[in-house]
Amino acid sequence: MSVADQPDMAPETPDDASEQRRKEAYFTASQRQLIWARFRRNKTAMAAGIVLLCLVLVGLFAPFLSPYDPTIAGRNKDYTNGAPQVPKFCDDAGCSMRPFIYGVKRERSIQTNFRWVTTIDTEDRRYVQWFVRGDDYRLFFVKSDLHLFGVDDGKIHLFGTDDTGKDIFSRTLHAIYTSLAVGTLGVFISFVLALIIGGVAGYFGGVIDGILQMITDAVRTIPAIPLFMAIAAFLPPEMSSESRFFFISIILGLIGWPTLARRVRTHLLVERNQEYVLAAQLQGAGAGHVIGRHLLPSFTSYIIVDLVISFPYMVLSETALSFIGLGLKDPVNSLGVMLQNTTSADVLLNYQWYFIPVFFFIALVMAFVFVGDGLRDAADPYGGQKR
Amino acid sequence: MLQFIQFATVRAAMALFTLLMVSLIVFSLMELVPGNCAERYLAFKNTQGSAITVADIAAEERRLGLDRPFLVRWGSWVGNVFTKGEFGDSCILRLNINELLGDKFLISAIICLTALAFAYAIAIPVGIIAASSQSALLNGTLRFVSYLGLAMPNFLLALIIMLISTVMFGDSLTGLFSNEYRDAPWSWDKVLDFLSRAWLPVFILGWSATAFALQTVRALMLDENDKLYVTAARARGLHGRRLLWRYPARHALGPIVNSLGFDLNRIFNELPIVALILTLTESGALLLESLARSNDQQLAGAIIFLLTATIVGLNFLTDVGLAALDPRIRRSVMGA
Repeated sequence: MSVADQPDMAPETPDDASEQRRKEAYFTASQRQLIWARFRRNKTAMAAGIVLLCLVLVGLFAPFLSPYDPTIAGRNKDYTNGAPQVPKFCDDAGCSMRPFIYGVKRERSIQTNFRWVTTIDTEDRRYVQWFVRGDDYRLFFVKSDLHLFGVDDGKIHLFGTDDTGKDIFSRTLHAIYTSLAVGTLGVFISFVLALIIGGVAGYFGGVIDGILQMITDAVRTIPAIPLFMAIAAFLPPEMSSESRFFFISIILGLIGWPTLARRVRTHLLVERNQEYVLAAQLQGAGAGHVIGRHLLPSFTSYIIVDLVISFPYMVLSETALSFIGLGLKDPVNSLGVMLQNTTSADVLLNYQWYFIPVFFFIALVMAFVFVGDGLRDAADPYGGQKR
Repeated sequence: MLQFIQFATVRAAMALFTLLMVSLIVFSLMELVPGNCAERYLAFKNTQGSAITVADIAAEERRLGLDRPFLVRWGSWVGNVFTKGEFGDSCILRLNINELLGDKFLISAIICLTALAFAYAIAIPVGIIAASSQSALLNGTLRFVSYLGLAMPNFLLALIIMLISTVMFGDSLTGLFSNEYRDAPWSWDKVLDFLSRAWLPVFILGWSATAFALQTVRALMLDENDKLYVTAARARGLHGRRLLWRYPARHALGPIVNSLGFDLNRIFNELPIVALILTLTESGALLLESLARSNDQQLAGAIIFLLTATIVGLNFLTDVGLAALDPRIRRSVMGA
């Protein structure tokens, strides 16, 4: 019953009326609206949410935003291990409204002691152009070759290139997409498993619950990454990169379920004795129906929060797996793949721009953690403002 | 006392059961690998020039006992592990696994436990101070640092430290021993050399565990700080460190000790990857090699089992230790 139904509390002045409406909106707000209202007040979480949204958009539109193909097809063989090229507006010869970079020459001769030496040719200005035609790509089933930017002559590498001449900027953007995709798939699989296992354990209770809890606990005790490694080692090396991608996501999901399953179970153990459950059972509803239609909707928001919180761990696990060579492999781009060869002294000393993508990933994971935390606080009605 | 013994026995039985479950999981994983030991042995013979037949493989399987049903083989594997501490042979390297592991596992365990101790030595005092302090700056900084600890996986931290130390000092700080001590028998000098290099892996492994522990301690202390008994103690005139240590800290101790096992789990997670970057020569690196390079399931299974057994052991010890300290825990035999 809403407050306005009571005649003696009817609004008297306009000021009261707006206050009344505000209160009414609060009392009749749905769970989702309440969470959103609380979340919006948390400034850190909102800022993180905006960063996250930007990164997701960047990941989704990676083929358009990146100037070149991230695979070997888009490589620049004249600029391998090339340093980042920062566009400038001014130099000694004057300024220009359109940013430009310098052309480079590589040569190897007796003067350079037969080593490749890169010289920057400051006479050779190459201007940045918007919406240039370049490598073909597919974005949401649309074939295109339009890229956001490029240069009029040669190629531009904002973050430099790697040892085969692939553009690190393009690879980073595609890697963000890969991480998001692996994370989403992994979270989805672990979510389904957790719902089934936690749902069964919590709904039936008793012996079934006891056995399932034992299994869950045993899985939780095994260190996850060594277990990932053991399972990932089964994947045959000749497997195509796409199916590898799916298998890695499935493995991540297969190991990530226990925490969420526990949460679902605890909640169901409390809820299953409620009267609405009894009512449904008396009307002949089966276990699956009661769990799916009556029990789960009662705490959807908590499940969503848990999913957001578990997301960064999926991304980090994938990165770790790929990094040690058991996860994704070239030509799929992910942070782990990109960092694979960076431990050598050569890279550490001479090609530090290999590490630029790391900052994007710290930002991505941090954004997820902050948003997840903000959501958790917002979803907890007793959380208050104490933290 | 009787209650305590009963509690300890039940807990020990539960730990044993968990270990059995884990061993079943690990053993099934080992079995899932295509090709068994018999095929591997004979494939090796094949490369030496002698022809092999299906009958040869069957005979070899019988010799190794591989023709028995899955559960029987699991039983004998578990039996050997539990009674003799024997993990059998690795059929890729054709060496006894116990010899292969040797003191390598011990070194890993020591490094990880030190990292854990390091994490808690920092997290407990800092977490308590942060929870009772009103300073927004301190809390904000701590929050940021611990989020960074969560967001930046240890291997990135290790890479960044290597990057900095290579650029600044020209030494990448890798390895557990200097060259002259690598294969030398244990001696006092070797121990000193080990200590001078082990601090880096300990620091890197402890990094994210510290962040997690800090969060746990702070949240628990915040919860306790609001409770009535703390207010009552404050009303009686207690304040400052006396109040903190005698009331809320004691109550928060239980859950903190219980979280030790999970943090050890977290540290073990990072072990193989950090080992790869810092080129350590202990069981984390061995695990990585057994999986990534040679697909050696016997060795990998043994290492995963040992890691898990350490965690289960630690959980058991903390449970029993807590019960010894706190009589209320003994009463709930199955635990919360």
